[in-house]
Amino acid sequence: MDRALFAAASGMAAQQRNLDTIADNLANAGVVGFKGSAQSFAELIAPGGQGLGTVALGSRVLFAQGKLARSGGPFDLAIDGPGFFTVVDGRGRRLYTRDGAFSRSADGTLRNAADYRLAGITIPRDALTVTVGGDGSVRATFAVGARMLGRIRLAEFAAPEHLRPLDGAVFAATPESGGARDVTAGSPDGPKLDFGMLEESNVTIIDAMMQILTAQRAYEANAKGVQAADEMLRIANNLQRG
Amino acid sequence: MDGIAWAASAMVAARTRLEIATENLANVSTDGFRRIDARGFLTALGVTIARRTSGEGGALRHTGRDFDLAILGRGAFRVRDSAGRVSETRAGGFIREADGTLHDCRGRVVLGLHGALRVPSGGIVDARALGLPPASRVRSGFLEGPAVDAIAEMIDVLSAERSFESAEKAVAAIDATRQKSADTARVK
Repeated sequence: MDRALFAAASGMAAQQRNLDTIADNLANAGVVGFKGSAQSFAELIAPGGQGLGTVALGSRVLFAQGKLARSGGPFDLAIDGPGFFTVVDGRGRRLYTRDGAFSRSADGTLRNAADYRLAGITIPRDALTVTVGGDGSVRATFAVGARMLGRIRLAEFAAPEHLRPLDGAVFAATPESGGARDVTAGSPDGPKLDFGMLEESNVTIIDAMMQILTAQRAYEANAKGVQAADEMLRIANNLQRG
Repeated sequence: MDGIAWAASAMVAARTRLEIATENLANVSTDGFRRIDARGFLTALGVTIARRTSGEGGALRHTGRDFDLAILGRGAFRVRDSAGRVSETRAGGFIREADGTLHDCRGRVVLGLHGALRVPSGGIVDARALGLPPASRVRSGFLEGPAVDAIAEMIDVLSAERSFESAEKAVAAIDATRQKSADTARVK
């Protein structure tokens, strides 16, 4: 195989994968709690030590904190610090998300837009107002008096980067990520819960646009490399005709 | 040395320069990549190109991840793959596994002074534990970007293509001259 042609083509393929990742980030830039991903690349090296170009190794979720913004939802929660909300889907599977846009449903559970139920808390039908403290404690006022309903616990993982991203801002545990570990919000160096706030996605549109431009130019430059390699082959093939 | 052989060696050299430039261009997004310099030499056998990895590192890029590490100064991270082969890299985008070891994107484990490096939960990595030279430091939250200038590489691609063309013209011209003398000889 022609080495120059292969190296340039590997660069094009890698930038194509990069563009896919950036486009996915951009598409989800407005999703609450979404975490952007970054593609990693590595040099492709032949057994003899010769470089052969590049390879895209796959994307990696970046768990940087998104900006917290005040919101108008009745039961909006944001995590300030590491950790995830534990939610349960329709089939009883436990999933993890940082999207805290919950609302009270008829059966007393707190559900988000995808109809996932927040684990561990139910709100009685006759509760008038509900507030959540920075430590996750849920308090409700009733016609007579007020009382604490329970506590929202957060999940942490030994290796969160191995969580499997599902659609939007939802993740599933994997054997590599380790099991979920319950943590209580509000400890001095731990996460804190903010009631009435939401965490925006950690993708900024301007950054993503810049990345798209860079990736596009890199793709074009590699395409020029393919052209040059092809042109050289053409010239070499025509040598004999003079 | 024969004229055609000289011109042919120039064609091969232009070809090698293109290979090196496309290899650099392909890695324009690879963290920790160091560009490969192409140097031409004139030898008794014509022009040859020597490859040399440049010592110049790329600019640091802020990422904010705890285990994105950049080395300030000399040295490299030592990583071991599943087959036990140890290699060195300047690409410091690592993931902390549940058992406290660090892995790079290819799944290779990062080595410290004594076997695999282990980082406690919430811990940090320092240069000494990695066995880096005394003057080097490690910066967390940063990655060393690729040390490739896409524009310079593009110019190399174009100039290699043109030198290939010129050398080919020289081969063709010498060939045509020889053809003529062969024809002349035949007429007489």
